[in-house]
Amino acid sequence: MSHSSDHERKRILHASQLAKRVTSGERELVILESLTLDVDCGESVAIVGSSGAGKSTLLGLLAGLDAPSSGELQMFGQSLSDLDEDGRAALRAGRVGFVFQNFQLLPTLTALENVMLPLELSPRQDVAAKSRQWLERVGLGERLDHLPKQLSGGEQQRVAVARAFVADPDLVFADEPTGNLDEATGSRIIDLLFDLNRESGTTLILVTHDMALATRCDRCLRLEGGALTAIERRRGVEA
Amino acid sequence: MKLIALSLKGLRRDLRAADVRALFVALALAVAATTMIGFFLDRLDRGLTRQAGQLLGGDLVLEQGRAFDDELRQELRRAGLELSDQVDLVSMVSQGDAFQPAGLKVVDDHYPLYGKVRVDRGSGVEGVDHGPAPGSAWIAPRLAQLLDAGIGDRVQVGALSLTITGLIDREPDQQAGFAGLTPRIMLNIQDLEATELVRPGSRIEYELLAAGPPAAIDGLAARLEALRDAGVEIRDVRVDRPSLGRSLDRAQKYLSLAGLAAVLLAGVAVAMATRRYVDRHLDTAALLRCFGASQRQLGQLFAWQLAWLGVVAAAVGALLGLAGQAVLLALLTRFLPLELPPPGGMPWLMGVLTALAVLVGFAGPTLLRLKRVSALKVLRRELDPIPAAGWLVVAFASLVFGALLWLYSGDPVLALGILLGGLVALVVLWGVGQAMLQLLLAVLARLPQGGQKGRAWQLGGRQLARRRTASLGQLLAFSVTFAAMAIIALVRGDLLTTWQAQLPVDTPNYFAINIQPQERAGVETLIEDAADSASGLYPMVRGRLTAIDGEPPAQRVPEESRNDGALRRDLNLTWRAALPEGNRITEGRWFDTDVASGDGTVPISVEEELAGRLGLSLGDEMTFTIGSDSITGRITSLRHLDWESFQPNFFIIFPPGALEGFGHSYITSFHLPDGGNQMLGEMVQRYPGVSVLNVEALLEQVRGILGQVTRAIEFVLGFVLLAGVSVLYAALTASRPARAHEGALLRVFGAGNRTLSRMQLAEFALLGLVSGLLGAALAEAAALGIYGWLGLVPRMHWLMWGIMPLLGAALVGGVGFLLSRGARRQAPMASLRLLGET
Ligand SMILES: Nc1ncnc2c1ncn2[C@@H]1O[C@H](COP(=O)(O)OP(=O)(O)OP(=O)(O)O)[C@@H](O)[C@H]1O
Ligand SMILES: [Mg+2]
Repeated sequence: MSHSSDHERKRILHASQLAKRVTSGERELVILESLTLDVDCGESVAIVGSSGAGKSTLLGLLAGLDAPSSGELQMFGQSLSDLDEDGRAALRAGRVGFVFQNFQLLPTLTALENVMLPLELSPRQDVAAKSRQWLERVGLGERLDHLPKQLSGGEQQRVAVARAFVADPDLVFADEPTGNLDEATGSRIIDLLFDLNRESGTTLILVTHDMALATRCDRCLRLEGGALTAIERRRGVEA
Repeated sequence: MKLIALSLKGLRRDLRAADVRALFVALALAVAATTMIGFFLDRLDRGLTRQAGQLLGGDLVLEQGRAFDDELRQELRRAGLELSDQVDLVSMVSQGDAFQPAGLKVVDDHYPLYGKVRVDRGSGVEGVDHGPAPGSAWIAPRLAQLLDAGIGDRVQVGALSLTITGLIDREPDQQAGFAGLTPRIMLNIQDLEATELVRPGSRIEYELLAAGPPAAIDGLAARLEALRDAGVEIRDVRVDRPSLGRSLDRAQKYLSLAGLAAVLLAGVAVAMATRRYVDRHLDTAALLRCFGASQRQLGQLFAWQLAWLGVVAAAVGALLGLAGQAVLLALLTRFLPLELPPPGGMPWLMGVLTALAVLVGFAGPTLLRLKRVSALKVLRRELDPIPAAGWLVVAFASLVFGALLWLYSGDPVLALGILLGGLVALVVLWGVGQAMLQLLLAVLARLPQGGQKGRAWQLGGRQLARRRTASLGQLLAFSVTFAAMAIIALVRGDLLTTWQAQLPVDTPNYFAINIQPQERAGVETLIEDAADSASGLYPMVRGRLTAIDGEPPAQRVPEESRNDGALRRDLNLTWRAALPEGNRITEGRWFDTDVASGDGTVPISVEEELAGRLGLSLGDEMTFTIGSDSITGRITSLRHLDWESFQPNFFIIFPPGALEGFGHSYITSFHLPDGGNQMLGEMVQRYPGVSVLNVEALLEQVRGILGQVTRAIEFVLGFVLLAGVSVLYAALTASRPARAHEGALLRVFGAGNRTLSRMQLAEFALLGLVSGLLGAALAEAAALGIYGWLGLVPRMHWLMWGIMPLLGAALVGGVGFLLSRGARRQAPMASLRLLGET
């Protein structure tokens, strides 16, 4: 929105002719086809679409967690197809956060330890303090030592959100970050996301069914038939 | 019925899962190990027993001073035993003017029950399975030399003249007893009466040798007991294996120990794999509960699933055991001079039984968890039923393992001892393991932030310490595994060195006895010149034990020892200032001053086993009758001595100054190198009264058996190591999904291949290192007990403490690293998609 003009517009993500096909058994399944997307620094983008449309797949591709079947993808100005698995990981390190649809918390680690994990990969001093602070921000300051299975679905989701943001990333991908939350908690998390977006210019790419969330984004895109189309911003948009 | 079908369907779907495969491998290995080791032990045991039976002359030997009656013979035959009569006596034999005392061995047509007599009947030495025909005699070459007689000559035995038709090279039932020290002459039992040597008052030993299955002998237990009470001396090959007893006993104990170690390890592997199996099926179980399955149905469903798995694994394992045993046989018959009997059926049964026991014992309690799952769990993850408490799993597995121990060892006290010791060790291990993980975390937190390399190690260590329960379980499993492997390897080493030390190359191969005091110096010089080692001369006085603390011995000793040979025969007494080499004082003190025989009681030292049998303790007084005199000694020390040392050994030792007045001769043993035999001729010529006994054959036999057993031990050791690796495999595959999950996530956070590899390597290596250390501690503790049991001298194994942690780190690090290689290669999205739903 208007605040985006404070930042120098710079392309953070560029995808063109992106396609993802998988073969299961004999049949080939086309999930994404000649998809094009450009995201600028500090922008917030919402992706909507029906179940099974390929939203999670797209998010994984954009973050470099999976390799596309064809097409070109650039992150931070670097072409991902030039990089191997390792190179892509190095590019992500400390700059990309990810909230998974199914949370992906390590079941044997406590909430705090789960959040600490990304920070521990790089040399830092304030790992525990910073992680604790983030858990407090998502309202879990009292649940630091609990294991994921002792937390409710929404609480686990909040741990996942804290983990995605703890390393001060430039780019955050979130797959249904409020999918399991009640309205009040959900809006607290949404506020958090956009505070961050505003304060540190973090770029947000979200998959959501939550209209409250989608409408606060700079752009809203629909994934359908393997391609993205812009949704006109007006009230009552359907997800 | 529907449940069974459902369980089969479930199992088929499950066959792709790593834990089911690990479970399968572990079970199959347990069956393969037990059947294979079982076969081997069974066959070796029977082979060795047969060999020992050959030395003894039969599986069962009855001996008394008069002929056995036909009623007893019939009874023994009815029980399924094959019989042979034998009569032993010492008599003069002559040829022309030459007279010599000779040991007569009078045999019947069934002789020998086992083995062959090696005899030269004029055309070289050959093995035959009969004795001399009526009218003829076979004699020892030494007797031929002394009598200056040869094949075809006639020899006078008592009133009968016999033709010498053979020179005895070796009797299958040759014994090193002093009764057989006089040179041998063997004749047919049909000639015995005609010798007119059987007269009232002559000292004759009648032996009834019996061969047959152990069950037949066991069936006669009551009858044999009655015979024993009636004064018949009875030797059972399983109890009285002559000369080889101790080494064999140790070897067998070792082999069954190793077999049990393999079972224990397979059990640990099963336990590890089951945990993962159950974890994976909790959701299925909860869903089935939602759909209305009862606890019972659930329990049955999964029990059936594992039962199918067990049956297939047992079949595969049994086939493997069969194949392995064929390979083993092909390998060993090259080395084994021993003829092994065909495989029996028992090991099959035991193998399958063991597999089932392992499955129930090591998987059972963990499996129960599936049954207890609540339908609500589908909604709330924290409702996972509490993992079967660690102690419950361990306790139940221990119980089953204890039962197996009992079954295999037949010794409930031993089984209970091992079990309790093992449990205490586990509890301690648990505590120490927990402390070590804590310590690891603390140390890592304090460590300075190193470079990339150091960071990966730190991260790896931290993950290990944080995965608390899982890591602790693995730590315990690996410690036990390493300890079991180490013990088997350690004991093997110490057993072999003990054996080697016990029978060095210059172990005496000749005994010379009956050396008169005036011949002493001459014999000594002769031996010194020709032999490359000698025991020195021991004086020997023969005396009969006639009183203990002034009472007749038969009244004093424990009931079961009333017929002990030590009460019925002369004992060899000696005197000596210093403790003989190879003897060890176990109680009391060695007499340090010579006695002036003042008050008539003299300090004496008694061999501990004899003392145990006769119920003697320090301070007791023993009276010996020597000729027409007697002497009393007070026990001041008990000694342990090594009966397999081929040295002169004495039950009773007096201090110098007490026995010199009695008639005595000297005994010595020495080793003649090859080609040193002409000295024997000189000895016989110059000192015709001295008897020289060749124990080379016996020595060779002992060495041969030790050689076979050594190979068996090495083979079994290999199997235990294999079982250990199966634990590694099961545990590491079980933890692979968790690690892969973690790896994929770290990838998402930007960890590179290098970091991931290093981290995982660090984690595995640390796990191995700590396990190795704990394993070394456990092995050392267990070795203390086991060494006592095997009769080995305990010692610290410092080298092991150094090697085990390193080896553990290398082994766990290597295997773990390889197993997780696949997961590191996958794109994180793919890993997470696969793993997300767990
Ligand atoms: N590796 C794969 N193998 C087979 N099919 C796949 C694979 N990855 C994705 N799919 C399929 O592609 C389709 C899109 O999946 P995706 O998870 O991206 O959907 P989604 O839009 O996130 O749906 P939802 O809103 O339900 O989360 C699905 O039908 C899924 O089954
Ligand atoms: Mg999705």
